Amino acid sequence: MVKKSQSKKPQKRGVDFKKIKKKIGRKVLPPKNSTNTEVKSKEIILPEQSIAADKSGYAVSKKGLTLKELLQHTSHHNVKSRRDALNGIRDIFIKHPAELKLHKLAVIEKLRERISDDDKLVREALYQLLKSEVFTGSNEENQELVVSLMMSYIFSAMTHLTFDIRLMAFKFLDLLLQHYPSSFTVYIEKILQNYGSLLRKNQFSLQDRSKLKSVLAGLVHCLSLLGCNKGDVSMRKNDCSQATLHPFEPDDQEDQICHTGVIRNLLDVLHVLLSCLHDLIQNTPRLDAQSFDCMQFILQSVDAVVKYFTHGFNETKRGLLSLFPPSKIPDVNVDDHMISLLKLKNLWDVFPLNPIHNHSTKDGDRYFILNAITTEVFLQLSDMISFPPALFERFLEFIEVSFSEKISHGRKSSLGIQEKHFISIIKFIPRLIVQIPDNWKARILLAFTTVLRNFSAESSTTLACLSAVQEMLSPEHCWLELIADNPEILEFHLDWIRELPSMLVRLGDKHSSSSEAALRLQLKLGQCASLNSLLSSEYDNMQKPLRDFYCTLDEESVHYGPFISLPGEIQELSVCCLYYFSSLDHPLLQSLVSCCLSNELDPNVIFRILEVLQSAHKAGHIHTAHYLSFLVTLVSHFKTSPDEIFSTTSDDMKSSREIFNSVTLFVCLQMSQMGDKNLISKMLERVIIDQIMLLPHVDTICAFLRVLVTLDSRLTRFSVESIDDLTNVLAHYLIYISSSVPGEDVETAHQKTINYYFLPCLILFIKNRELLKLVLNKMGSFIDEYNSPSSSLRCGSLPLTHASLRLRAVVSTFLHMNKDSKVHGGLLSCQTELETIQQKMLTAKSSEATNMSIEERHKIQNECDRMKAFMVLLFQPYKDFKEANFIYISDIRNLVQVPTELHKRNPTDRSHRSQAEDERKCYLHKSQRGNKKMKENAIYINHKGGISIGRLCANSRGNTEDASVNQPK
Amino acid sequence: MEAEIVLASSPTDAGISCWDLHSGAEHLRHRTCSATPHGLVSVANNFLASSQLRDSKNAAGSIFYWSWNKPQVEVKSFPSEVINPLVANSEGTYIIGGGVSGHLFLWEVATGKLLKKWHAHYRAVTCLVFGDDQSLLISGAEDGCVRIWSLISIFDDMRREKSKHLYEYSFSDHSLKVTDIVTGYGGCNAIIVSASEDRTCKVWSISKGKCIRNIVFPSVIDAVAMDPGEHVFYAGARNGKIYIAALNAQCPPTKNYALHIIGSLSERSKAITCLASSMDGIHLVSGSEDGMIRVWDTTKRNIIRIFRHAKGPINNILILRQPPHLNPSSTSGQSSSAKKHGYPLPPPLGKYTDSSDENTEIKAFIGSRTPNYVQDASYRSSWTMMNQIKELRQQGSSAASELEMERLKFDSSRSMQMIQQWKKKYENLYQYCVGELLEREQVENVQKRQK
Repeated sequence: MVKKSQSKKPQKRGVDFKKIKKKIGRKVLPPKNSTNTEVKSKEIILPEQSIAADKSGYAVSKKGLTLKELLQHTSHHNVKSRRDALNGIRDIFIKHPAELKLHKLAVIEKLRERISDDDKLVREALYQLLKSEVFTGSNEENQELVVSLMMSYIFSAMTHLTFDIRLMAFKFLDLLLQHYPSSFTVYIEKILQNYGSLLRKNQFSLQDRSKLKSVLAGLVHCLSLLGCNKGDVSMRKNDCSQATLHPFEPDDQEDQICHTGVIRNLLDVLHVLLSCLHDLIQNTPRLDAQSFDCMQFILQSVDAVVKYFTHGFNETKRGLLSLFPPSKIPDVNVDDHMISLLKLKNLWDVFPLNPIHNHSTKDGDRYFILNAITTEVFLQLSDMISFPPALFERFLEFIEVSFSEKISHGRKSSLGIQEKHFISIIKFIPRLIVQIPDNWKARILLAFTTVLRNFSAESSTTLACLSAVQEMLSPEHCWLELIADNPEILEFHLDWIRELPSMLVRLGDKHSSSSEAALRLQLKLGQCASLNSLLSSEYDNMQKPLRDFYCTLDEESVHYGPFISLPGEIQELSVCCLYYFSSLDHPLLQSLVSCCLSNELDPNVIFRILEVLQSAHKAGHIHTAHYLSFLVTLVSHFKTSPDEIFSTTSDDMKSSREIFNSVTLFVCLQMSQMGDKNLISKMLERVIIDQIMLLPHVDTICAFLRVLVTLDSRLTRFSVESIDDLTNVLAHYLIYISSSVPGEDVETAHQKTINYYFLPCLILFIKNRELLKLVLNKMGSFIDEYNSPSSSLRCGSLPLTHASLRLRAVVSTFLHMNKDSKVHGGLLSCQTELETIQQKMLTAKSSEATNMSIEERHKIQNECDRMKAFMVLLFQPYKDFKEANFIYISDIRNLVQVPTELHKRNPTDRSHRSQAEDERKCYLHKSQRGNKKMKENAIYINHKGGISIGRLCANSRGNTEDASVNQPK
Repeated sequence: MEAEIVLASSPTDAGISCWDLHSGAEHLRHRTCSATPHGLVSVANNFLASSQLRDSKNAAGSIFYWSWNKPQVEVKSFPSEVINPLVANSEGTYIIGGGVSGHLFLWEVATGKLLKKWHAHYRAVTCLVFGDDQSLLISGAEDGCVRIWSLISIFDDMRREKSKHLYEYSFSDHSLKVTDIVTGYGGCNAIIVSASEDRTCKVWSISKGKCIRNIVFPSVIDAVAMDPGEHVFYAGARNGKIYIAALNAQCPPTKNYALHIIGSLSERSKAITCLASSMDGIHLVSGSEDGMIRVWDTTKRNIIRIFRHAKGPINNILILRQPPHLNPSSTSGQSSSAKKHGYPLPPPLGKYTDSSDENTEIKAFIGSRTPNYVQDASYRSSWTMMNQIKELRQQGSSAASELEMERLKFDSSRSMQMIQQWKKKYENLYQYCVGELLEREQVENVQKRQK
């Protein structure tokens, strides 16, 4: 707003005639030398009123204040407005998180002044603000800057005169470290000094336990950030599946804390803590919650410090020895002086803490925790420092008692925290055993063994126990030495090994990590079993109880163990253990087989089992007879889908058939690689024949036939009896297959399936023509029989009650067989057999003509025609060939343009007959999947020469009527 | 191109066949050899050695030597137990064998002396490989362990007592028998690839001492071979395929292959039992259960040649430079004695270590070639290098400041000298001037007096 000045300008007159008016007594003129104090201005600008300002577009708090205003208010002299400002800032950040990102540093710069605020509530509000909003909001770049901004003020607050502000400063430090743990190493020295001085001055009265507690909690957190925990992180990083092979590795900038100053500080803190603990114990007759917490925190801090030292000590020791030492050795030089400082005598003096008065369970638990932590500290240190045996014994006694107590009331109260401490003691057992005298060894191990036996499946104690057992049993450590020393301890070791299988069973399928640990232990034992005859026999003895883990069989029912429902990796692990048994016994193999046959098992695991058993057999760990019976059982009992073999609809069922197919393939491969085939086929001949005599599912028959083919396709070594049985089965099998082909169009969709099922039979026929004859005879006999031949085939068979269907099946079997060129040759030699069949068909037609419908009769007629056609197709060209093979051959050459080399061949050669036969086959083959042009050619030839050729062509079109038309009389 | 030959042996008594890799011509077939897997080795191209399978477990093992130009066994030695894998260092000074009980035997070839026998594994050793700088020995065993030994520290009794174990590293991640191991180049910084019956191949870094890649295959891998450029390695599987797995590139899983597997070479064959890669990296030779040896062109992924060894399975394939004594037709006339005798074979290998005569006498032996020992036998693995780099980096500033100091010192001393000089000159001048003045005064006085 602008106001114009009110002064008027006097009118100008002529200078020459200046008229001066004077009124006497009216006004005194100012003196000449007076100063004009009048302020004149062209315009006046008044600042905007904050309440009236337009704040649209700014982020404002509930009270309508912007961040800038609020920040200004934080340094207001009024306590209330400071607090309000802090709350307002919180409002803004909650509503507009982006605001925080933009102004984070500015905000922190302003807020940090409040760390040493006089008012408690203001500090509290600041703490809340930082905790809930500022630090959580972002953890990206310039962390160091944030930390350094805060730290200077925190440190100054730590030395503030007011006690409460100092306490609060530690809380702020704790908060900061929680969010920026990496900054600890930078400020470690100063932080430790401050903690030391705070605790040393002993300003905490008895009522201040809660304050002391909060400080100590912060200290525990600080010390837990000390270097020794980095090992876990690097272990987790070691997941090697995805990583690049030679990655660029930037230097880790986080240096180890390795100044002697820090070590000195740590020792200081340690001693302050111990004296603090001492005071606490003396001043508390009863252990209430507050002082318990304080004591626990103190002990935990001590534990962290000691861990840091021992870790460094061990690392340096290890680094000196190995050829490729680890890249980073924390150089904590633990000298003698320090060791003497680390002896912590006054801590041991108070151990064990025992309840003085009444003994409630809650108190008992508390005392247990305190004692457990103390024990942990002691055990840590006992690596570095040798303690007097009397002291050692006190601790051992505690461990023994606690183990046995754990068993007695571990069931009812499985406190999480207590469990944790218990586990940490268990971790020390392996190292402890090496150190202590013999009489104690037995006592501790006894206690340990009872823990191992009586664990509850869900507790994590199991894992700790298992890893301890693994460490004690691993031969690198002390296995051999201890056995030599002490037979008593050996007894314990054997106990643990015997415990393993039942443990696996008890763990069930829910606790996969524990199961995995147990199996790893088992594997490890197996791997080094041959080291020691005792161990290997112990390992072999494991087989019997291990059956429960896989599967148990009693009459009629199968009880699957946890194996079947464990995750795949663990299943694989347990399968690997099988390899190391020096001889796998038959019952275990049986239970394995029934696992394999279960539908729930992943097919991958089945193949894994097969592979491992194969290797085991190769290494001589399985008796050949057992292995063979395993394979045969697997094949004979494998369940494929029960429905039609030609169904194309259901995918999962089909896949089960595929699995069976590859299982069979594997088995065949195995049998062929096992060595002397004669011997194996002799062993298996009767078994297999008996199995297929039962007429199981066609898939199973097919699989067994494939096995037969691989073993001895000529069947030369088979007894007459077996061949007889085989003939019977084959006839049934073939007829079943061809009768169950659905629909008319045989050529297209199901050809592949038919080939698959026919192939093993065909190979047998090719190799052994006698068998073919026998089978043909058998088939002929089916035609007479009234009862359906296929009814005994297990899978939902077609009732072949009608004679027409039976005939149809037989004829189409022949047609399928004839498609294979080699079997074709075999069929040629069975002329008599085929003719009898044809004869039988004709008699069947005439004999049954009386009690048949016209339709049925028509069908039978059709089949007879097909048979006739087939016969002609089969033998006619051969007759021609016999009569005038030269002509015939030349015809064919003209016709199909058979390979040119055949032209050059002299047909009068002495081997011309077999060649000619080959040639004809070639022709047959080609014309069956011939193109149109060839068919025309065929017809052309038909007028000229061989009849058969015309028929072939007709048949290939699947048109029998055509064929009969063309048939010459 | 240098002529390379392919050697093959089988567990059945079918001898050792030998072909020229490029022409396919067959050379002399050595008789009576039923080699163990990984048990065929050419000792510095001077002669062939192979450990033999024995039926009964109790029998002592046997190792046979053949010279290149004679088909029959020339030297037979019978170590105290059955030796499975056999390996010799490239100079042919040592032969190391792994026994069925898990012991390793180290013989000196020239004398046949058993220098050292130590317990290396809990179960039978299955494969042995030398690192490319011949100082590290890598062994794999039936217990699934892969261990790395340094030949230097094996004889270092002091250190052994301290560290309780002889090996540098023991990798026990495989859960079943280790079937094959190959090493890459780079001495202590090399990678090794181990295959196992647990269907996995693992890639290890020797310098870091950990597994850096784990590749799961669809079948058991019995043989691995590495591409000389270390881009890929080939894994011969029991299902008859040879899988190609990437080493350098990242290769996400595809529809057909799992993670890190690029592709496969396959022909309908039985299980692949051994693989060898030629020096040019193009030819890969595979031996399979059906007794065929196939030579693949890895660039086109097709078969270029098939050799037939015997009916039985093949269990060893070696690709070697053609040894000088192998082909009598090529060496014409001028070295007829060498042609006839070839390399005189060393004495048989000893059965026991003789600790007694170690001190009594030291015999001198002259081998065919004096092996070049590496003088500086210290290891420089990645971490030492890293430390040195770090040190250098840290020292960088101090060294520079030291240099600066030196320079400044030098400067100051020089200027001190200058000052001295100037002072001297000034002194001289002063004295001269004073002298002059005095003289003049004296002259004047004298003149006055004279006046």
